[in-house]
Amino acid sequence: MSSRKKVMLKNKNSDYKLKVIILGDSGVGKTSLMNQYVNKKFSASYKATIGADFLTKEVLVDDRLVTMQIWDTAGQERFQSLGVAFYRGADCCVLVYDVNNQKSFETLDSWRDEFLIQASPRDADSFPFVVIGNKIDVDDGKRQVPQKRAMAFCQSKGNLPYFETSAKEAINVEQAFEDSLDLVIARNALAQEEAEEYTGDFGSSAIVDIGADSERDGCAC
Amino acid sequence: MPEEYTPPASPTASYYDLSDDDEDYSTITHTSTGRGVKLLYTKSKVYVHPTPSAKDNIPGFIALIQQKPPPSENTSSAPAGTVDPAHLLLAWLPESALGSAYDTYVKVDLLDTSLPPKQTYLVPPVPISAGNSSLGSYSFSVPVSQIYSLLVRPPSLGWWWGSIVINSRGGDGFPALFFHDSECASTIAQSKARARENFDPFGENGEMFWGGDEVLRWLKRFVKVERSEVEKTVYLINPSKDDLLSFGQKPVIDSIAAKKNAEAAGSSSNNGVAAVMDPFTKAIKSARWTLLERFARVTQFSRQTASNLLDNPNLPPQVRKLLRNPDVINLQDDFDSARLYLARWAMGIAEQSEKERAQIVWKREDMMEMEDSAVGEFEILDIEAGNLKTDTDRRRPVEMEEWESWFNKSSGRLEITVDEVKERIFHGGCDQAVRKEAWPFLLEVYPWDSTKDERSALMNSRRDEYVRLKGKWWDDVSRREGQGEAGEYWRDQRNRIEKDVHRTDRNIPIFAGEDTPHPDPDSQFSTIGTNVHLEQMKDMLLTYNEYNTTLGYVQGMSDLLAPIYAVFQDDAMAFWAFVGFMERMERNFLRDQTGMRAQLVALDQLVMLMDPVLWKHLEKAESTNFFFFFRMILVWYKREFEWNDVLRLWESMWTNYLSGQFHLFITLAVLERHRAVIMDHLQHFDEVLKYINELSGTIELNSTLIRAEALFYKFQRTVEASDRKHGFPSPGTATPIVKLTHRRSTSSASGSSAAAANKGKAAAVDGPEITEPLRSLLSRDIIRVEKKEPQDVTAEAAGKGKTPMRG
Repeated sequence: MSSRKKVMLKNKNSDYKLKVIILGDSGVGKTSLMNQYVNKKFSASYKATIGADFLTKEVLVDDRLVTMQIWDTAGQERFQSLGVAFYRGADCCVLVYDVNNQKSFETLDSWRDEFLIQASPRDADSFPFVVIGNKIDVDDGKRQVPQKRAMAFCQSKGNLPYFETSAKEAINVEQAFEDSLDLVIARNALAQEEAEEYTGDFGSSAIVDIGADSERDGCAC
Repeated sequence: MPEEYTPPASPTASYYDLSDDDEDYSTITHTSTGRGVKLLYTKSKVYVHPTPSAKDNIPGFIALIQQKPPPSENTSSAPAGTVDPAHLLLAWLPESALGSAYDTYVKVDLLDTSLPPKQTYLVPPVPISAGNSSLGSYSFSVPVSQIYSLLVRPPSLGWWWGSIVINSRGGDGFPALFFHDSECASTIAQSKARARENFDPFGENGEMFWGGDEVLRWLKRFVKVERSEVEKTVYLINPSKDDLLSFGQKPVIDSIAAKKNAEAAGSSSNNGVAAVMDPFTKAIKSARWTLLERFARVTQFSRQTASNLLDNPNLPPQVRKLLRNPDVINLQDDFDSARLYLARWAMGIAEQSEKERAQIVWKREDMMEMEDSAVGEFEILDIEAGNLKTDTDRRRPVEMEEWESWFNKSSGRLEITVDEVKERIFHGGCDQAVRKEAWPFLLEVYPWDSTKDERSALMNSRRDEYVRLKGKWWDDVSRREGQGEAGEYWRDQRNRIEKDVHRTDRNIPIFAGEDTPHPDPDSQFSTIGTNVHLEQMKDMLLTYNEYNTTLGYVQGMSDLLAPIYAVFQDDAMAFWAFVGFMERMERNFLRDQTGMRAQLVALDQLVMLMDPVLWKHLEKAESTNFFFFFRMILVWYKREFEWNDVLRLWESMWTNYLSGQFHLFITLAVLERHRAVIMDHLQHFDEVLKYINELSGTIELNSTLIRAEALFYKFQRTVEASDRKHGFPSPGTATPIVKLTHRRSTSSASGSSAAAANKGKAAAVDGPEITEPLRSLLSRDIIRVEKKEPQDVTAEAAGKGKTPMRG
């Protein structure tokens, strides 16, 4: 059971829209991950992404429909300078590398920095990032980045959630994306609680909230 | 009788005896002048739609009016019984402008037009106007002799109301006139009469009667009205021989084409008939209005709502059938596009039903605020595109026989002008076999004035050069082993190329195979296998990486190389042709992206100039960065069209026949094609981006090329008009670009230097009306990256920031 299920949404009448950006070097499998998560399909014949595109997926969170908009971008660095157009308003960023490609792991940090510069989210320190090591289906002999090293990196960046996936074999893909959903919901809930301290009002904005502690503990699902 | 201006004094003439109206005609003579003009026919509730919103629609009358000929001409100009079309005016007047004449218009509208007029009705004279009225009112009238053609669209799904657009000989733009038949008393009466006579409101041919039919019928009483065989929606008025020539090319009414069309019409019965509604629209039109209204509320249309609707017992059979139509079901399967499609349709109905509930009162102030009718503008464009489309001769591919006939048999030197070659390829493209011959010229491998021997010598040295360049990385063992910084960079580039080549056009047979073992056991593709063409692609791209060291390989280049290689299947030739292509494409791949930015800025300004209404909408949708055209511009529509269309499109654009940046007019053509959906349904950047991205694979190339060409001419005229207004002659005014055939080559310096000379002048007048990025679109030169001083490019692009059209 995913922890997501424990999350309760306030304001039943509004749709909740969530924007996720996938970043990482060219060829690490960004498009494949997105398609595996949204369409449950893998194709070996994707073309290199040019420009940007997105897919949407509707996820049920405690009876409320949440629309995830997942953005896929071109992997070559120089094409990121025009990224502002689609980074804006992002709720979460998924950083992807290929476990069989050392270089793609080493660039994760600069992807993260570049994103923070371009998207300039309000609270950069707590902005939700998720790290994905993709292509674990390739045989072990070719693996270049040990899991320990990746986890150490994630820890050093503020305990970023880390997943190892295979878009091809559909391993862990759903978990990775749903975790990013949880992160955003939790973060927004915190912001909501803080806002309520000032206004004492739930407002009409489409913000989700985590249930009270007792509810969380008592949830049997 | 009709040529007579004032009614006979004696009421014994038979028509007047039949009059059931005792109102004296003299009382409706215009009071201020004491004179009037004859209102022959009119139809009410003909609207101008200045904006996409129904609340802005202006109701009015379309009218056929007869003026008194000047005294000098008297009655001699026209034979008895006819009227000189110069004295007939086709006019449109808003209801609000009619004043006391309103009653007369209403009365004439209700006359039975199947009988000769019983009485002459006089109304105030209507000033002849060019249509681009500066008064803010749309009223206009145009002498029938000045009408070149009418664009007639019967009601259809895309155009709920039937419309007519007048295209005058002077090229003036008039707004589209929409016939709101359900409000028009005479049309209702006329279709009722038909129903009484035929027991079928649709008429024997299945076409539903609509107001536009009547207008054509009026005109046919006085002038010859010929329907264009090529462009079915165009009706030519009194066509002369000259009129039948479009852009100096083939006659519009070509007896052979007509025959062919007739044959084609025979096979699919619907195509042959004029002004006919498709059965789909017919079904909708005849469905009960209230139900459609309810249907229209379904904005979040989905498979589920569709099936709920199907379960509804009150659903009329027509709509039920529609929802079971395989095409509609297919659309539903493709969920996103179906939602948009149905939303577009549903909202059209919603808007109209809203209108039926409450008639909107039109305010004078609103009218004053209005700009040119957006709808009318682009219907005019359709006419132009229609005219362009007619040159079927020009638009057939160049075949080997024709190609070879252009060269001297013994020397192999070109014997016609370069522009003649370019014109043919621009309009017709090349037959597959000709591509191998023509592309080296278009891509600057061969000079146009070379002989056969010169080309063969040139190619020999190019082959040697290719081998030498390839050897530079091939033989550099330390780099290949990844030693040092250079080695690391090279390996990165090689990996990039490897990844991209293995995912480029693998659906094309020559790139599909995986039967050859991969030469590099460390490659991620070593277990999958490769083929000789993929390996050639990799080598060529690595060699380009060596040839252009400042740029190197960048993602997207493999897309540009693949069609070239596939055509030549000769690595050295393909390499040098690719180098030629990259001359103009290089700016797309610069590290700082200034080249892409500059093109998106030019596109922004082009849309702002050519379609301000759409531009404003895009601005509201935060979409004027035009980022959703990034892919189209970066790899020249490679991902948007099918393989063969890409070859055809590229060779057209390589000619620089009209512009070195014709690709931006293709973008504009795509945008205009989808204008209505964008305006009505896309409110945010992400929606626009998704919609444009999903056009991939759906764009029809030929009509896009024709539309782009028409848009180019329109742009050219706009620039010339602006230049005239700002008091300095454009370098192109003396020689319209259509007649470019006498110019020798693309490198003619006149274009750019003259434009540069004018630059200062332009700035001195009224602000940057036509910006430099826009003016450069008129040039046939391509924009190259300055090799020695790359910082110039940066500075130039920075200076081309978003500047408003007016200061």
